[in-house]
Formats: sequence, C-alpha cells, structure tokens
Amino acid sequence: MLLVRDSMVREVVTVSPETTAAEALKLCWERGIRHLPVLEGGKMVGLISDRDLRLATPALGDPNRAAALEKIRVGDEMSRGITTADPEDPIEQAAMAMHEKKIGCLPVVEGDDLVGILTASDVMAALVRLVGAHEPGSRLEVQIPDRPGSLAEVAGIVRDQGVNIVSVLSAPSEGNGVAHSVAVIRLATINPSGVVRSLQEAGFPVLWPPTAPDGPGL
Amino acid sequence: MSGRAVFVHDEALEAYGFGGDHPFNPLRVRMTIELCESLGLMEGHRFVSPEPATDEDLTTVHSLSYVRSVQKAGRDEAPLSELLDYGIGTQDNPIFPQMHEACAHVVGAVIGACRLVVGGEAEHALCVSGGLHHALRSKASGFCVYNDAGAAIARLKEEHPGIRVAYVDTDAHHGDGVQWMFYDDPDVLTFSMHESGRYLFPGTGGVEEKGRDGGTGYSLNVPLQPFTQDPSFIECFEETLPEALRRFRPDLILSQNGCDAHALDPLTHLSATTRVYEHVPRRVHELAHELCEGRWVAIGGGGYDIWRVVPRAWAALWAAVSHQEMPETMPGSWIAKWGGQSPVALPNLTRDAAADYPPIGRAAQIEERNRRTVAELKRKVLPLIEEGPRP
Repeated sequence: MLLVRDSMVREVVTVSPETTAAEALKLCWERGIRHLPVLEGGKMVGLISDRDLRLATPALGDPNRAAALEKIRVGDEMSRGITTADPEDPIEQAAMAMHEKKIGCLPVVEGDDLVGILTASDVMAALVRLVGAHEPGSRLEVQIPDRPGSLAEVAGIVRDQGVNIVSVLSAPSEGNGVAHSVAVIRLATINPSGVVRSLQEAGFPVLWPPTAPDGPGL
Repeated sequence: MSGRAVFVHDEALEAYGFGGDHPFNPLRVRMTIELCESLGLMEGHRFVSPEPATDEDLTTVHSLSYVRSVQKAGRDEAPLSELLDYGIGTQDNPIFPQMHEACAHVVGAVIGACRLVVGGEAEHALCVSGGLHHALRSKASGFCVYNDAGAAIARLKEEHPGIRVAYVDTDAHHGDGVQWMFYDDPDVLTFSMHESGRYLFPGTGGVEEKGRDGGTGYSLNVPLQPFTQDPSFIECFEETLPEALRRFRPDLILSQNGCDAHALDPLTHLSATTRVYEHVPRRVHELAHELCEGRWVAIGGGGYDIWRVVPRAWAALWAAVSHQEMPETMPGSWIAKWGGQSPVALPNLTRDAAADYPPIGRAAQIEERNRRTVAELKRKVLPLIEEGPRP
C-alpha cells in the first residue's frame, strides 16, 4: 500500500523532443497535468513541465507568442538527467527525494521502461490514506517515552477499551530536552473519553484534543 | 395553526438505545416527553404513532447486505467478526436484542413525519428519536445504525419527483452520513454547523467539502472552534443559513437538533447554552414560513447530558414547532420524579442563566477564527447555489 507502485499513475502522457511547445502546452491543459516525460525511441531522455514551457515562450497577449509556440521544440527546453523512482521504492523515500530536490514529480522507471509517474498530489493522496482521514474517527495526540514497548503499551490501553485504531503515526518530537515521541492516533469511536482517561492514568500525556478553553494547542 | 403541529412518538421508539452505561440513553426521550407534558406543552396536541420502516425504505440509502446483517445481529444469528465489518458490535454501536426493529421504527417515524408535512396533514412535525446522522450506507457509526433523515429524504424524492429538501444540522458533530448520501445531488441542500473535525469525531465537515459534480455547492459546512459560545454560534448561524436557504428555496426543511454543543455535554468541546436551543428552532421555523409555506420537520440527534440539557433543549424545540411560549420554571413534579435518579442536581429554570456562562478568556480569538470560516464559506460555496424557483 505504501510503495511507489501503489500510488503512481500508470498511464503516462509523453511527448518527443520534436513536439512543439504549442502541442505540449495543449496536452497539459487538456489533461490537467503539469509534467510530461520526453521519450525518444521508447527511452526517456528528459522531462518538460508546463512551467518550463511558459518561461520559454512570450507572455499571453504578446503578438509573437503564437509563432514562438510553433517554433520552440520540447527538446530545446527539457531538463535532462532526471531523478527517477523505482516502482518498489517506499513512498517515503520518493517523498524525501521530491522534497530535498524541490521537484514536483518523479518518472517511475523499470530498467529502461517508463512505467508510471508520481506527482506531489499522488504523494498527498497516499498521506491522506496513511492517516485514515477518510474514515470517521476521533484524533488523539499522545506523548510517549522514546523507549521500546511504549507504543505497544498505548495500543494495549486502546484495546482494553474495545476501540479500533483507524491509523497510527509516531515520530520523535523535540522540546523539553527529554527524548520522547508523539503518536497521532485515529480512533474509530465518537467517544474517546475512556481511552483518554486510561492513557492519562497510565502516565501518557494526551496533547490533543485540548480539554480546557485556555489550554495548550489552541 | 397550533393544532397543525404534530409530535410523532410511540414508546416503541424508546427501544433504540445500547443499554448499560452507554452514553446514548433513550431515557432522555422519556424525560423530554414527560417534561413537555408537565410543562403543559402537550395540551391540545397529540402524539402520532409511526409505522416501522420497511426493508424497501431502508434500502433507499443502505445496502441490503447491511440491513440483513443488522437483522441477524439483533437475533444473535451472526458471528461478531462478520458484524464488525459493518460497524456493529463495536464499543460505539453494540449489539442489542431486536436492534433492527428498534432502528427501523425510528426511520419509519421520520419518514412518517415527513409525509404528514409534505402531504399537508400537518404544518410542522417533530420526532425527537430521529437524527441518527452518522449512519453510512453499509456501516453503523457514532451510535447511529440506520440513517433516518437520509431514508426520509430519499423516500420523499421517490414520491415527489423534483422536490427540494434542505437538511439543517446543528449537532456538535458533523452530519457526515446525510452529507455523503446526497453529496452529488443539487435537490438536497445539506447544511451542518459543528465543532471542527480537527478536534471532534467524525473528523470531516470542512468548508472545502462542498458537494460533487452537479451537487457542487449543495453541501455546506460551518466548522466551529472548540469552546465556541452562544454569541459566536448564533452569529455564524445567522450569517450563513438564511442566505443559503433563500438562494436554494426548499420545498421542505428537515432540521436535525442534536443538543450536544451545550457546554455541559461530556462528548464535545463547544460551549453553547439553552439560548442556542431556543434561537435555532425559532429561526428555522420563521424561514420555513418565509420560504416553503411552513413545511418543517424537526428531529433530535446527539445530546449526552441527558439530565440537565436534553429534556430542556428538546422541550424548547417542541415549543417552537407547536407555536407555544416556553414556560420559565421547571415543573416540580418532573424534578421530583427524575431528581432521585439523576447524578447531578436538576435545574429549576428552563433557561440557562447567562451569568453562569460568562465569556471565556479566548472568546474574541474564537469569534475571529469562526468569522474567517464563515467568510470563506460565503466567498467560495454559497455563490455556487443556483437560485431556486420563486413561489
């Protein structure tokens, strides 16, 4: 569920280096996309974005625009040496590459074949699934010690209350000079009060939802 | 006029509840009925007994496999593992004997209330057992097994092609089930004002949930900040609902009157008082007369301070539905009967005293944040409602 192949788009719209800027922009507009891999002889040789094309052509309203759009070829403006992903890469690795290189998409290749494309919105969709935001639930944030077994203890408390967990994310948190993690848990219940009470009694601070009008988090 | 308001109720509806110390307790309905009687609000009025919903009624919005599972659960004929896939047998929605019959009766009551009003036999109708707005097509959720409002709207659409229904939900929780059932339908306007999903179940109900395809613009959501108090609650309501309804021009208003936004409610973080629970129905009532010849059906919903909040809020609701003034003093006989069972002292007045709920320190910030939410809804979603037919 959380590999690149599960989130990528398989039907990739491509162009060739000989495609005109006008044709490429039209494709972007018609398909509602922003990135076009460039293929030559079945092999990916570059990537062009609608932004590259707009920067390379005169602005809307410029009398030279139409002629320039017909003249400029994708091969003149495309980026080469493209960062790609493998279908079996974990989604977080792809997300990290896009984040660090400040790029909006990764073509997905298997050997020499282009098999898909992963864009920032596909990663966002995976995040929505990951946090279970589409399922009814109540959101809790719990502070847990950064030690083996902490999360298991929290999960045990939830189990003892007979409540199902929709999703759980846990990450190290900074602050107070004490090593701890914050777990974001989505519970399949309208009434998390029993879980909250049991967690507090067991010594796990519940950071969210806030319980007092002037409390932290608001 | 007042003779034309009906209270749809039957003791059979009080079988909908999950028993034990589950927060959804049907005693609140009994206490409401008896409070209305003790306050004299039933004089000249009668209770109308509803018929249970049929399988055909239920499958307008639920899958047949789900209905069959609820039936089996109530007869102890299905393994828990199978029922859990349908949200049945969880801590929120435990199995209880004859649960299908109890739940189907509630749905039938709301369908019946709608038929009385749309058929012209009553001007307004109330069914406090209705309002189970979280139930999904194939899943019980948030104490709700069958979606009474959803089934009633779907049935009305079959019986009166072209009918336009406005669903107005002021429960503290987002009215997700009803919203999703009509998400692409421009003939059903869903309006939900609730505590923001960032803080509260079910987590949905942001302004950006505005409907889909032809129904874009016909799902309206006003997510409020936790600890929102009466003035901001009422301001947000007044800034959005009248304009939305005037654009839409419904043939019927169906209002869900969950009262769990009250400051005393144990499940939510909103801070309303009885002022909201008088204001909302009186305004919905006025809008029904202004826009759709008074056709208005009111149903209940959430409300988990069953002693101090629900009976007073819903007696005020009945007073609004039946064109009566709400008396000021709680009847001694009612307090005497229920006071012994209540773990908390029962109020002596029907209205909360403003002095008991002073503005909190962050009131101005909360108001400001809510105003931004309302402005966004008015800018991005309200204009998408096509102006409906003028009478």
